Amino acid sequence: MVVVTGRELDSRRPDGAMSSSDAEDDFLEPATPTATQAGHALPLMPQERRTEFPAFRGPASLGASAGCVQRGPVLCHWTPPGTAGEHAAAEGREGAPGVSGTHALLQRPFGADCGDRPAACSTAEGPICEAVVCYRRKMSLKSERRGIHVDQSELLCKKGCGYYGNPAWQGFCSKCWREEYHKARQKQIQEDWELAERILHLERGFVFFFSTQSTYIVGDYIYIYICLGAPCFSHLYKLQREEEEAFASSQSNQGAQSLTFSKFEEKKTNEKTRKVTTVKKFFSASSRVGSKKAEIQEAKAPSPSINRQTSIETDRVSKEFIEFLKTFHKTGQEIYKQTKLFLEGMHYKRDLSIEEQSECTQDFYQNVAERMQTRGKAVPYHRPGLGLNLTALVPMASAVTTVLEGTKPGGISVPPEKVEKIMDQIEKYIMTRLYKYVFCPETTDDEKKDLAIQKRIRALHWVTPQMLCVPVNEEIPEVSDMVVKAITDIIEMDSKRVPRDKLACITKCSKHIFNAIKITKNEPASADDFLPTLIYIVLKGNPPRLQSNIQYITRFCNPSRLMTGEDGYYFTNLCCAVAFIEKLDAQSLNLSQEDFDRYMSGQTSPRKQESESWSPDACLGVKQMYKNLDLLSQLNERQERIMSEAKKLEKDLIDWTDGIAKEVQDIVEKYPLEIKPPNQPLAAIDSENVENDKLPPPLQPQVYAG
Amino acid sequence: MSGQRVDVKVVMLGKEYVGKTSLVERYVHDRFLVGPYQNTIGAAFVAKVMSVGDRTVTLGIWDTAGSERYEAMSRIYYRGAKAAIVCYDLTDSSSFERAKFWVKELQNLEESCQIYLCGTKSDLLEEDRRRRRVDFHDVQDYADNIKAQLFETSSKTGQSVDELFQKVAEDYVSVAAFQVMTEDKGVDLGQKANPYFYSCCHH
Repeated sequence: MVVVTGRELDSRRPDGAMSSSDAEDDFLEPATPTATQAGHALPLMPQERRTEFPAFRGPASLGASAGCVQRGPVLCHWTPPGTAGEHAAAEGREGAPGVSGTHALLQRPFGADCGDRPAACSTAEGPICEAVVCYRRKMSLKSERRGIHVDQSELLCKKGCGYYGNPAWQGFCSKCWREEYHKARQKQIQEDWELAERILHLERGFVFFFSTQSTYIVGDYIYIYICLGAPCFSHLYKLQREEEEAFASSQSNQGAQSLTFSKFEEKKTNEKTRKVTTVKKFFSASSRVGSKKAEIQEAKAPSPSINRQTSIETDRVSKEFIEFLKTFHKTGQEIYKQTKLFLEGMHYKRDLSIEEQSECTQDFYQNVAERMQTRGKAVPYHRPGLGLNLTALVPMASAVTTVLEGTKPGGISVPPEKVEKIMDQIEKYIMTRLYKYVFCPETTDDEKKDLAIQKRIRALHWVTPQMLCVPVNEEIPEVSDMVVKAITDIIEMDSKRVPRDKLACITKCSKHIFNAIKITKNEPASADDFLPTLIYIVLKGNPPRLQSNIQYITRFCNPSRLMTGEDGYYFTNLCCAVAFIEKLDAQSLNLSQEDFDRYMSGQTSPRKQESESWSPDACLGVKQMYKNLDLLSQLNERQERIMSEAKKLEKDLIDWTDGIAKEVQDIVEKYPLEIKPPNQPLAAIDSENVENDKLPPPLQPQVYAG
Repeated sequence: MSGQRVDVKVVMLGKEYVGKTSLVERYVHDRFLVGPYQNTIGAAFVAKVMSVGDRTVTLGIWDTAGSERYEAMSRIYYRGAKAAIVCYDLTDSSSFERAKFWVKELQNLEESCQIYLCGTKSDLLEEDRRRRRVDFHDVQDYADNIKAQLFETSSKTGQSVDELFQKVAEDYVSVAAFQVMTEDKGVDLGQKANPYFYSCCHH
């Protein structure tokens, strides 16, 4: 992350543009030789606080200082001249591996815990890390070493080459680590080189403008402005480690492990003289080629730990972006550099909350756009997240750029009408790359919300256009066509990566809706027509990951587009539609609460009752089905009637039988059958015979003698 | 894809049927007469380029759904608006009560939004004075109170319609100029660069 220029600049205090306001003076002060000699470079810090800094120095403060680096924010820290670059130069290696080094350190959790901070830091206001690190590019006579010291025994390279290793390089020294990972990285570096070769044309030094990390080169000094959270600690920490390394390596490899701290302090003074030469070597004109290379390496080869997306789409977008920027020549280079750096920075910020990442992205958009629009005018650069005014820094930055670029009054100058276009391209490029990490991140409840709204929409399947007062008649084939297209568009939104493309899908969907309304009503649609229709489309379409998409667009779209333009209007309407669906109740559909509850619970469907008026689903089959359903229900009713009548008949029959039996019984009981024994049956027979008298007497037996 | 740059977001608020859409339509229609015809399929969103002095300003006019069922969502609409035209029907006193509601909302949530009160359907009053239900002086007092501009327009005759939007654009330009002036002196440390942006749809 150290930026060097390929040429030596005038070491005198730079031009008046940088000393006009108080803030600027504050910033610049350490750049004066005396301040540097005194070992203080604490811009943006009140003067008196500097006196506390010796706390960093002594052995006693070692633990506390190291702890500070890992846990709490370091407010300001002075690093001696030539640190990182010096190391590289001393070892004859290319570039300071600052980028790769920072990453591993970043993985540590940072509690923004102010209470734990050592005295030197505790005067800070809030847990914001702001630091301006000043490197002296050319050695002056004397310098002093100060800062955070880490136990040296931990620093040796794992390979045992005698150099110091670095946890960020898994315990290797920079050289061994490079060898170790060289092969794996080769292809990637090659690729990046190729890209960069086409873009970067480094004639002189350049200035990095990084949304949160900016490097300004002023005269002899390199200012690295660092702020915001974790990356900077690790960055400082890293620089410190390199400092140690540089120191150790210049100790000509002798048993550095056995160094005690007092010894260390002693040798430090001896060391100064040697440093002068190494630093000079690095910054002198003769090493120009080397340092240039180093820069290119930095700009092009992001830390190997960046998992590059190698998808076809990413490659294609990268290529397009480069092609596009080519048309802007030098400005294009500058933009590419910034974009690349931003992406690297975002990589380190992956552990931050999505809101912070969003803020960084928004800052970046704002920063780039402002720089393009103002053409070197002093820009009130403003960091919303920190509430810190950097007005002072920016004119300085442009002044630096002026120095570096010769006569041009500003890093980037683009005609205003092209700014928008460039911004779109930048958005496309960075968001294609970041998409994977920032869309629906696990750290948020986006996914939960997605599922909730999906479930909600499913539960509302019964809502009819009539309930929403949708002025669209889907029986007209043209209209239903439009509706289908609108639904397709809104579903397609999920497949896009770039916020702008997602917005374009919403806009396309909206246009189809307008067309549908226009055809139905024969007049242009108003918002009163549009919103209900959009709600209806969302209900019908149930677009996937709706909330995630809305959140993603909100967080990462270029705000100028989102807030005012036509896309923004439709997006706002979509937000409204979603909010409406979430809050939807009986009242908003003009239904009674009972009806609403019944529909929601699925007991009844309003469509069945309204089958006559239910026209929007113009499908004949569905209509037939409902007709048949009606018939079936009628049949059912009749059958039930028959059944009940049959039962009644059966019952009647049974009753009747019973009744008869009962009657018979009654009669039998009433008239019991009595059989009397016959008295004198014969007489009886005869007695009744009135004519008996007239009958001749019965024949008497007569005896005949004979 | 729509790529038109818009400088000012102007949001139309008001009860259903007070004539928000008609007002915008009237305005759009004027553009149709003077400028190249742009096929507008809807009057819900209109971007109109205006000239104020030697500057051009693009107004993005956002129509909103006035139905009460969408009332809860209206704050999503006016977020980030630089100007709000709050409409009420001159012949309907209840619509003015609703207008007051929106004014209150705007004052609470969008302090930087300039409010314009707009009484609509003034042509109806010309036909019959007795139809007026909202007293001009009452409203004027109210408008002074809330530092709002007051217009009485007719979308039918076009009365005051252009003046209204012209005023919106002029105010924007002068406010913007004022901001530039103050920005040169330095920026308020506590101010957020884009306070509206970050929380769209969170509430």
